[in-house]
Amino acid sequence: MSAYTGKIGNGYIIISTFASMGIILLILCVLFFNSFAAIRDVGWSLFTLTWNPPHAQFGILPMFYGSLAVTVISLVIAVPLGIFTAIFTSEILHPGYRFSVKAFLELLAGIPSIIYGLIGVAFFSVWVGELFHLQSGRTIFTAAVLLSIMILPTIITLCDDAIHRVPQKYREAAKGLGLCKHEVIISSVLPIAKPDIIGAVVLALGRALGETMAVMLVIGSIDKIPAPFYNLLAPGQTITSKLGREITGSAFGSLHFSAMIFMGIMLLVIVLALTLIAQYFSKSGQRLYE
Amino acid sequence: MRNKLFISVCCFAAILCTLILSLLLFVIALNGAKAVNLRFLLSDSRNFGAEGGIVYQIMGSILLISGAAFISLPIALGTALCKSEYIKNTVLQQISSMMIYGLNGVPSVIFGIFGLLFFVNFLNTGISWFVGSIILAVMIIPTIVLAAYQSMSSIPAIYRESAYALGMDKWKVIAKVILPQGIHGAVTGLFIGLARAIGETAPVMFIATAFSGAKLPDSLFQPVTALPTHILALAQQATNSQALLNAWGTSLVLMLLVFSLSLSALFTRVTLQSTGRR
Repeated sequence: MSAYTGKIGNGYIIISTFASMGIILLILCVLFFNSFAAIRDVGWSLFTLTWNPPHAQFGILPMFYGSLAVTVISLVIAVPLGIFTAIFTSEILHPGYRFSVKAFLELLAGIPSIIYGLIGVAFFSVWVGELFHLQSGRTIFTAAVLLSIMILPTIITLCDDAIHRVPQKYREAAKGLGLCKHEVIISSVLPIAKPDIIGAVVLALGRALGETMAVMLVIGSIDKIPAPFYNLLAPGQTITSKLGREITGSAFGSLHFSAMIFMGIMLLVIVLALTLIAQYFSKSGQRLYE
Repeated sequence: MRNKLFISVCCFAAILCTLILSLLLFVIALNGAKAVNLRFLLSDSRNFGAEGGIVYQIMGSILLISGAAFISLPIALGTALCKSEYIKNTVLQQISSMMIYGLNGVPSVIFGIFGLLFFVNFLNTGISWFVGSIILAVMIIPTIVLAAYQSMSSIPAIYRESAYALGMDKWKVIAKVILPQGIHGAVTGLFIGLARAIGETAPVMFIATAFSGAKLPDSLFQPVTALPTHILALAQQATNSQALLNAWGTSLVLMLLVFSLSLSALFTRVTLQSTGRR
């Protein structure tokens, strides 16, 4: 009896392990297989500026530019704000409140992105449109602001963990040298927490790059780099919003479809690389929530 | 002086964040409360969701995540057991962690495309809620694995050693010692994962849901309607004020579901910690 249970148990464990480890490889293979037609037939012309499927032009650079612009701006807004707030919650705020602050942040981090998208459609795009006198408020800038609010709870809670994990003795030693509170934080606590904070930011970068719904609803969906490329108050397109909008509109097996999948695999590779970098920086952290 | 400046910058950032985030909750709650009433919760949607209620959307979402829970929990538990009890080699351990973290980082829209390519087109299942459940299950497996692994690896070595000293074989040790202590972690991870899964739109919108008209499925291979895709459909007709109102109502319901799942996770984590130390 027990010998059989052991065998069944071992079999179950091996099968489930292979299933959960193999799925990521399966995803990569399936995507690569389906993007192969585009790689073979379009080749290096994939990296050009014009996306026009009826004329067989599949330049994916405008989408890359959109993803990059949206992500960079949202991080520029969210990272400083998030780190200062994390310093506040972990170093200045009374430790008794920490549990409720963390619970609040985790709840906020769990708000589905589609709800952010709805808020973006109903308020943000209208505000941006009125503020800058635009025809339509659905711009790269709108998407970036919305995204920065979305990743803010994640950045705060991860940075707060990173700072909180710095052992108390460093603070005491620094205080013993006669440093003020801000000097303790800047010259002793932050340098020690730095790898974890970098890890948190890289993780947030990956999340922001892969975010679909909120961005898709407010970015305007025009496959062009805006006229002067720094004009952020123009509609754009990110990789994710392109995929979300067009994948069902393109015929399965066509070159158009294949080029879309190629964009997907580029996105996946970038995000996977970022995830692994983040893990390299924050070795100590085993995070359950993003 | 600089001390004060630094502290006040931090305070300012914290106040700003609190304001923004509270405003967010306030906006959702206020707009949602106007739409939600018993009739909204219990009636069928009409006119592409612009009128009527969301009863089938709620049921569809719950169906999707229950399917995901039933599929993901056993697989994730097996993987966590393997990671904590079977793999002793450091390199293998690192590779398995890399795979799990990698899977955790995959953007949600990629899961949707994978489901579309592999299940809907290659295996020819058609648009079906069960495929949606499988994809959501894959998406939350890493969360459950990590949570279960954490609680399993924090079981003191002396428990295992005593069990082996009593003459138990490996599987018996797992069944009698490791699982009872590790299951709480898995359940916490499951709740965290489900809280994420129920709100995801991108993975299910190509493969599992119809935008309106679908009722309860009577087989595995039929589409359902779900709360997030319902919000998406309504957000795209945002100029219609009645549709927008229904979208807010749906958002509030979805958010409350997410919060109750997150709070269950918090609750199991807290009880887990107290029983673990006893």
